[in-house]
Amino acid sequence: MTVSDGEFDLGLGVLDHQLVDRDGRNCGKVDDLELTGLSGGEPEVAFILVGGNAWRGRGVLGRLAAALSGNAVRVPWSEVDEVSSVVKLKRSAQELRLGRGDDRAARLVRRLPGA
Amino acid sequence: MKQFLQIALGILSAIGGFVDIGDLVFNTQAGATFGFELLWVVVIGVIGIIVYSEMCGRVAAASKRPVFDLVRERVGFGAGLSTLIASEVVNLLTCAAEIGGVAIVLQLLSGLPYRFLILLGVIGLVVISWVLPFEWLERLFGYVGLCLLVFAVAAIKVHPHWGGVAHGFVPGVSSGNRLVYMYFVVGLLGAALTPYEVYFYSSGAVEDAWGLKDLRINKITSIIGYGLGAFLSFSLMIVAAVLFLPRGIDPQFLGTPALGAEAALGKIGLVLALVGILFAVGGAAIETSFSGAYNLAQFFGWQWGKRHRPSGAPRFALSWLVMFVLAAGIVMTGYDPVKITEYSVIFSVVALPLTFLPILLVANDPAYMGSNRNSRFSNVIGIVYFVLILAIAVSAIPLMILTNGGQG
Repeated sequence: MTVSDGEFDLGLGVLDHQLVDRDGRNCGKVDDLELTGLSGGEPEVAFILVGGNAWRGRGVLGRLAAALSGNAVRVPWSEVDEVSSVVKLKRSAQELRLGRGDDRAARLVRRLPGA
Repeated sequence: MKQFLQIALGILSAIGGFVDIGDLVFNTQAGATFGFELLWVVVIGVIGIIVYSEMCGRVAAASKRPVFDLVRERVGFGAGLSTLIASEVVNLLTCAAEIGGVAIVLQLLSGLPYRFLILLGVIGLVVISWVLPFEWLERLFGYVGLCLLVFAVAAIKVHPHWGGVAHGFVPGVSSGNRLVYMYFVVGLLGAALTPYEVYFYSSGAVEDAWGLKDLRINKITSIIGYGLGAFLSFSLMIVAAVLFLPRGIDPQFLGTPALGAEAALGKIGLVLALVGILFAVGGAAIETSFSGAYNLAQFFGWQWGKRHRPSGAPRFALSWLVMFVLAAGIVMTGYDPVKITEYSVIFSVVALPLTFLPILLVANDPAYMGSNRNSRFSNVIGIVYFVLILAIAVSAIPLMILTNGGQG
């Protein structure tokens, strides 16, 4: 992944940003980050958490929303291609198991005329 | 030449799209209650919507990010979700009010039953939104909405006391009931500064694939389009002040403003006014239902946009369909659309600060904006308006309760 030089604020620059797959498709938000190496060693972002119970760390409303939804999808940080105003991924949403809500809804919408 | 035409067309649709049911209701009631005394409030409201629309259009052109992306990125998940819920309630109430307006106008034109016309109106709006591309939607409703210019002609024809009109542009405190006056100040500002206009404008800029070359169009469209749109608000208030105030008419019915056009210009005035209102509120119904879908999709990171086929942005398409269905359900209860309008405008004021703050922050962020950051001038006005918005957000609901919704 490439970012501009200097310090980088994960909270402002990555968290809650749009995820875009290889083909330019919107496929969720960076709902939370999983870090490793917090107890000794270099702290490092290991996974991006998307959807579902990834919201449980995000305040009272987040806990409520998380309780109502399923498991988060974990995307390894190594899949990130570039961070700009969006987080661009190296592969397609389908390969990373993202955007499945849109896929399900698409099956429904395709039955409507002119869709 | 092509760019000139594009700018002219953008301005025309901004004028036609400026007025919605909130402006119709609050400007007419303000004129009928306080004469010309509240004209200055419209000026303040319009400058505010110009400043923030220009800002979010510029952010959309420079960073390709629409408003609700920014809300989430800047205020985080929790506060963002609260803003989302508040904005969706307001979008839904506003959409319901606009659909009620469509049905009332159709009823005045056809005499058919109200609930049947709600159904007919919603089906018509859904089919039009499903079939027409984004650009055509904007233009169809914007251009035909220009029939509302009949109110500008009517405002001259009723021969207002121009000295009194001029005096109305000077801010002042009324000799009448102060609390009711303050309620109308808040209501008129809320009607001019509706949050959905900002959501729709910025998402529309992304839909139209605006880039840096469009910054000039953004500036001209927002300043001249909304600026001229304000003349429609002035006209509504002036007509109501001349025709309704002396006769003690309290315009609690959406058809009342059209009667003002009829009194001044006869039958043709009435028909033009009704057609103008029909397309103004119909267009606003589409904008509010789409805003509901834009906000949801942008908060959760779904595919969105009218530029995709419905199956290419399926949750977005389902969201605006559901908005229409829920909104129609609300008006079907028979609750008075004018009352729904008042509630929606007053609640929208409460949702404004959390919508405007992220725009102001991001418009100053070089990571998003590069060299197109806010000028000092935009910042000063932006901050002044943000403080004003905070003040009216805090006072809106207490004033509505204390004045019994402006009834005194």
